[in-house]
Order: sequence, then C-alpha cells, then structure tokens
Amino acid sequence: MINSVLRFCLIFILLILLQVLLFNNIQFSGYVNPYVYLMFLLLLPIEIPSWLLLVLSFVTGLIIDFFSGSPGMHTSATVLAGFARPYVLRIVSPKDGYESGSDPSMLAYGLRWFAAYTLLMVLIHHTALFYLEVFRLADFFRTMLRVILSTLFSTAFILLIEFYRRGK
Amino acid sequence: MRNLLNFLARYNNLIIFLFLEGIAFYLLSTGNNYHNSRLLNGVRGITNRIDAKIYNTKSYLSLHQINESLAGENVALKNKIAQLVRQENSLFFSANDSVHKQQYTHASAEVIENSINKQKNFFTINKGESQGIKVDMAITTESGVAGRIVGCSRNYSVAMSVLNLDFKLSARIKSNGYFGSLSWDGRDYRYAILSEIPQHVLVNVGDTIETTGYSAIFPEGVIVGTVSDYEKYGGDFYKISVLLMTDFKKLHFVDVIGNMKKTEQLNLEKLYK
Repeated sequence: MINSVLRFCLIFILLILLQVLLFNNIQFSGYVNPYVYLMFLLLLPIEIPSWLLLVLSFVTGLIIDFFSGSPGMHTSATVLAGFARPYVLRIVSPKDGYESGSDPSMLAYGLRWFAAYTLLMVLIHHTALFYLEVFRLADFFRTMLRVILSTLFSTAFILLIEFYRRGK
Repeated sequence: MRNLLNFLARYNNLIIFLFLEGIAFYLLSTGNNYHNSRLLNGVRGITNRIDAKIYNTKSYLSLHQINESLAGENVALKNKIAQLVRQENSLFFSANDSVHKQQYTHASAEVIENSINKQKNFFTINKGESQGIKVDMAITTESGVAGRIVGCSRNYSVAMSVLNLDFKLSARIKSNGYFGSLSWDGRDYRYAILSEIPQHVLVNVGDTIETTGYSAIFPEGVIVGTVSDYEKYGGDFYKISVLLMTDFKKLHFVDVIGNMKKTEQLNLEKLYK
C-alpha cells in the first residue's frame, strides 16, 4: 500500500517536471502543444475511489497552472478528465472485464486497449483545455485543428513514455 | 431526509466534480484578465526561481548569438549618439527644464520566461520595481516592439507580449504616415494585423510599419515590422498583415523604455476629453 503510494508520488513528480521543463518549452508550430502530465491520471489504479481521483486531478491541474501562469485553465480541464475517467474505462473495457486490483497499464491490457483509452482521455482533456483558452467561438474550426493535432502528439508521447516504463 | 441522503450518496461524485470545477472556473474568471495578471505575481514568485534556473542553462547555450546581437545593438547606439550630439547644439530650451534632452529612459533586461503558443501570451523579465521598472513601460528588442509591462514585483516584471489578443498598439506606415491600430489575431506568431488604414492610401508589400507615439507608451518611430500582405476589409478599410520584426521565439535581451513626460501628456489630454 505505502509502496504504491510512494510509486505514484514519484510518477507524479517526474511527469510534472517533464511537462514543465520539457514539453512546455516545445512549440512545433502554433498548433501543437503536447500535454503529457495527464498520464498521471491515466495510470492511477482502476479501483481508486472517484472522490480521490477528482481531488488528485484538481491538484495536478493546479500545479500545472502555477507553472504555466494560467490559473484555472488546466485545473478545470483536468478535473473534467478525472470525472470522465470511470465512463471512459467502461467504454473501452476489454471483453472479460477488468481484473480486480490491476493498474490500467499497457502491460496489463495491451497496446491497443491502452492507446484507445489514452486517446479518448486526452481528447476530452484537450477539447476542454483549448476551448477554455480561446474562450470564444469565433475561431471554432482553427481551435478544433489545434485540439486534434495536439491530441495526436500528446497521445504519441504518452505511449512512448509507457513503452519506456514497460521496458524497465 | 432519507431521500436527501440517498440522493447525496448517489450523486456525491457529481457534487464533488461540480464543486471542484466551480473553484477552477472561479480561478479562471478572476485570475486571467489583464488587470489581475498583477495578482499572479505572488504565485510567480515561487515558480520564477525554477524558471530562472532553466533560463540560466538556456542562456549559457546561446552565448554566441547573444554576442552577435549585442554587437549589432552597440553599432546602432553609437549611431544614435552621433545624431544626438549634432542635434543638441541647435535646440532652444528653458534653463530649468531638466528633461529637455531626454524624454525616454532605457533599461536593459533579460527575458526569463516566455510563451508564444497561447492566445494570451505573457513573458517575464528579470527586473522589477527595485530597478525602476513600472507598469505601462514599453518593451522593445533591437529589432522591434515586444510588449508592455503589466505588473511588477520587486525583482521581476510580467509583460504582455504583442502576441496577446488584448494587446493594442497605435502604428503607422512609415512612407506616408497613415496610422491605424495593430493587434494580434492569435494565428501565427510571426504576423500581426494592422487595421483602420483607409483604402485610398497606397500600400505596398514590404512597406515598413512603425509606432506613432500617440499612446505615450512607445516612443515614436520604433519598427514594428513590414507589410507582408493586404486585403480590402469591409467597405472602407484595408486589413494589413504585418510580418513582425521581433522573433518572439528567441526573445532574450530586451530594452525597457519609460516615458518621463507620459503623466504630463495624459493629464493634459484628460482635460479636453
């Protein structure tokens, strides 16, 4: 129990540092901003109580907001993603359901399952985030393009990190 | 009562969710507008230390380019001094006017945090109130305009970048003097839009755009960029796309410009408006 709490603290710190030090400084063009810190929410145990999931989402978003100087923006998007996670897990659930006590990882349920799960979660998060950032409907389709491109990149990066994690 | 408890138990996730989203939206609505970016400085005090560390590494790696840009700036400054020396002897001024020679104060600073990928971009510089920086000072680089200060703490200041939907600048076409309003449309970090130029004005691709000095923030004649494209917009006006001279992707050394006569100009204008 204590061990896994420590492990998630470590993952949390690593992901936040990765986001703040590396990915916040990457700007491929005006359209692509990968946000990999969401991976922390993806990796939390399947049977985590929903209230804890929501609180953790809130804290994650708040910390990222501090570093990006955008109070509330990442927080609200991340809390939405945290709220949606149980529903997403239900949608992508494998044929014979989830084993009790397992982590939602690539190792446990395979690449295809993990990719679908990540893509859906990232899409929800990025849609909320980018539309909140623009906060007007004038550039609806341009923002949609940004959402789609960034979603693809974030998903790719999260899958890469997951591959690396599995390799160890 | 029992129904109520049942209700709460059933929807407790939704309630927590709405509660947390409520806090987030409260932060979003109070923390993000232009004036409250000053409040943000309190929080930035913590993260600035980390940003400064990141910045230190970056600045070491780009020393070569910095040297080049400093050398270029030196040459430009020497030219300016030469011009000023010539002008000084030919002007009349009142004997007790201590600012007759100097209207603008310059201070150099370094950008320690910057973004170009948002719709409302700000950057942070490593000087603040202790170094005489004040709100509403102009920021330029050796190539053109960069932004203006919106908030200061003791040793840091936050500036609104030209790449911010809220940024407005009075600018004109250098060749014929017609002025309009320059703003960013949030699309490409290299281009801004100059509007309110009437259609009878002759505009050419490549024309230089410079500041007017009407706002009392930017000095007159600071280069903004060049015309890259223009189209008719509405009945009377052109919508001119301006290629910005400043490369916001490698914003590093900036010049902070204060106008010593700003208060005087604004107070006088207030009397008649």
